[in-house]
Parts: sequence; C-alpha cells; structure tokens
Amino acid sequence: MPTRNDVEEMIVQVGLGDRAAFSSLYDATSAKLFGVCLRILNDRAEAEDALQEVFVRIWQKSSTYAANGYSPMTWLITLARNLAIDKLRMRKAGSVDIDEVYDLADSGPTPEAAAIASSQRGQIDACFDELEPDRADAVRGAYLEGHSYNDLAAKYGVPLNTMRTWLRRSLGKLKDCLNR
Amino acid sequence: MTTADDHNDDVALAGEYALHLLDAEARRAFEDRLSTEPALRALVAEWDADLVVLADEIAPVTPPVVVKDRIENILFPHAAKAPAGVSLWRMLLGGGFALVLGLVVLMILPPADRSDIFAPQFAVDLAAEDRSLLVHAGYAPDTGVLRIIREAGGARPGRVLELWLIAEGATAPVSLGVLPDSSTTDITLPAAFGDAIAGGTLAISDEPIGGSTTGAPTGDVLAAGVVISI
Repeated sequence: MPTRNDVEEMIVQVGLGDRAAFSSLYDATSAKLFGVCLRILNDRAEAEDALQEVFVRIWQKSSTYAANGYSPMTWLITLARNLAIDKLRMRKAGSVDIDEVYDLADSGPTPEAAAIASSQRGQIDACFDELEPDRADAVRGAYLEGHSYNDLAAKYGVPLNTMRTWLRRSLGKLKDCLNR
Repeated sequence: MTTADDHNDDVALAGEYALHLLDAEARRAFEDRLSTEPALRALVAEWDADLVVLADEIAPVTPPVVVKDRIENILFPHAAKAPAGVSLWRMLLGGGFALVLGLVVLMILPPADRSDIFAPQFAVDLAAEDRSLLVHAGYAPDTGVLRIIREAGGARPGRVLELWLIAEGATAPVSLGVLPDSSTTDITLPAAFGDAIAGGTLAISDEPIGGSTTGAPTGDVLAAGVVISI
C-alpha cells in the first residue's frame, strides 16, 4: 500500500509529464477511484468510462496539484466523485452540457485542508452523530450516492425547499462541530 | 445581514457545492465567485477534506485491465509499443484481409490502403473475462467504417463468431455479421447503424456456421463492451 507521500510524489511527477509515474499512480489508486465511480454510478460500464475520464483529467491537471493545498487522496477522490456525479446528472437529464463539468478549486493554498489527518475520521463521525439520524443520512446520501436535492426530497417525502433548508442547516451544524 | 451571517451562508453554500447539490445555474454563479474569492476556495477545500472521510467506507474495486490500456491509448497515442503490450491504434492503422461472409445488409470490404489513415472517433474493446478472446473495434463516422481487430482467440471448431450491435436504449441486438477468420476486418455500416454506434454496445456471440438463423444470438455471448467516444 503506497503511503500518502508516495502518492503525492507520483502526482508531482505526473505533473512533470512522467508516464511511468502515471502508470504507477494508476496502479496505486485506480481500484479506490473505480470503487468511488461504481458507488455513485452503480453501473460498471459507466464507471469504467468515468474512471477513464478521471485519469485523463489527472494527467491534464496534476501540474496544478502542488498549488491547490489538497492532500493527494482527497484530491483524487474528490475529482473522481465529481466526474462520476456529472455523469449521473447527465444520465438523468439525458443530455450533456460541457459547461457543467465540475472543476476543483485549483489554486490558493489552504493549509487547513492540507493539515487534515486521519484522526479527523473520529471527529467527523462524532459530528455526524450530533445530527438527527435522517439528516446525517441525507448528507451521507448526497456524498456517497450522489443524490440531488430532488432525490433527497423524494426519499424523505418532503418538499424540495424543506430538504434544502434541512441540509443547509445540517451543514452549518457539522461545520460548527468540526471547528470546535 | 451581518458579516457573520454572510460567512455562515457561504459555509453552507460551499458545502452544497462540495456535495454537488447546487443546480447548474447556482453552480456556475458559485464558480464565478470561486475564481475571485480565495476564502471561498478555502471553504470548498475544507469541505472536500472533511467529507472525503465518508469515502473510507467505499471498498476498492480493481477495474478491468482494458481500462488502463484505453487511457494510455488516449493520452499517448503515438507511444512506442512496449514489448509485451499491444497498442490498439497501431493495430488499427495496420492492414489485413477480409472475407465476405455475414449478412446481406452490410458490405464487408477489405481494409483501406495502409497509406489511408483510419481515424476512429469511437472505440471499444471486447474481451472475454479470461481474455481468451480479445477484439478491438474502432468506428470512423466520416467513412462509416467499423474496423474489427481480433487480437486473441477465435471461433471454436465448427462454429463462428457473430458481431452484434445493441443501440443505446434498444431492447434487441442487431447482427453486424459473422466475423471472418482474418485478424482485421472493415465493415462499412449504413448511416442508420453508424448513428447507433455511439453509446451502443457491441457484443460477440458463438454461433453455428453461417451465423444465427433466428436474427438474435443463439449461442453464448463471449464478449461485450460499450462503445466510447475517444
């Protein structure tokens, strides 16, 4: 299992156009990123297409990685998740709008984000536990299944605006808790 | 509204953005702000780092080997061939022979001259799970040519391989003909078929000599894949 530093070094090398590093990065991370795509898309063929786009994007964007302040796996997983959700939304909309392809904020160092450590796993779990179970599940569903507000409103049987109010409030509470 | 209210609003908004909950219009408006507001970018980065912990529960799944090949073929199409590897597009540029078999609706032609570069815009790899059969397909819409390259495997004795197209959303496959024994085959598709290639699925089935007589696959589906734009 490559360490965080190994993955970071691979991304930096890929940013310099190193194809061998790209191959190593793929070998080290594709299974996790494919897992993420599959979880969101729940369709093997679409997940394969998404993974392909993810690695094309990684190749194109890795030269800006050092400036973005993301830890390596956060950057990779966020990129994979967002591309997979783009595909999910396009599937639902039945059309493709290139302008809507999500991009990571890729400049401006954020030491807070870079400093995230594994010990925060416990903290975020504890903060989710402070939310009402339904609302914690809604945030998890949005993250892990790519649910939209429409999906969530239907799932919990509430109007769209109510769902949005719930979720925004839950995000505020989560953030307050994480900042404590 | 106070500055603190504005900040709290932005915290929630950045969270909605990170979760991908904003609709297209709101997302664009937010991205316009992101490009000029470092503090907002920092909020998104914090949410990404906080929420990524949720992905810990997602188990890794090893993707099929062909995906890496596809990616490298997209990014490095002119790369020198690795000794053990096979570059799909080098193969697609090569020639071969075709035998006329298969269905009457299709013209199966010998591949174009070597100097005539085949520039596919769609491709798919059809591989049996154990890779005993591996076929590459590339489709060039401008000429209507679907080039089939068989890299490994073939029909069983006394049987043939038949190629099928399942258009996106279609309920039944359409035969594209029996594959000849040659390693490379060009099939010129009628325009209506060509339109169905993008996003469609190609599949290969095991059939009796002469191909399926029922209009639908009768034997095992040996390999299948979704055609992607390259």
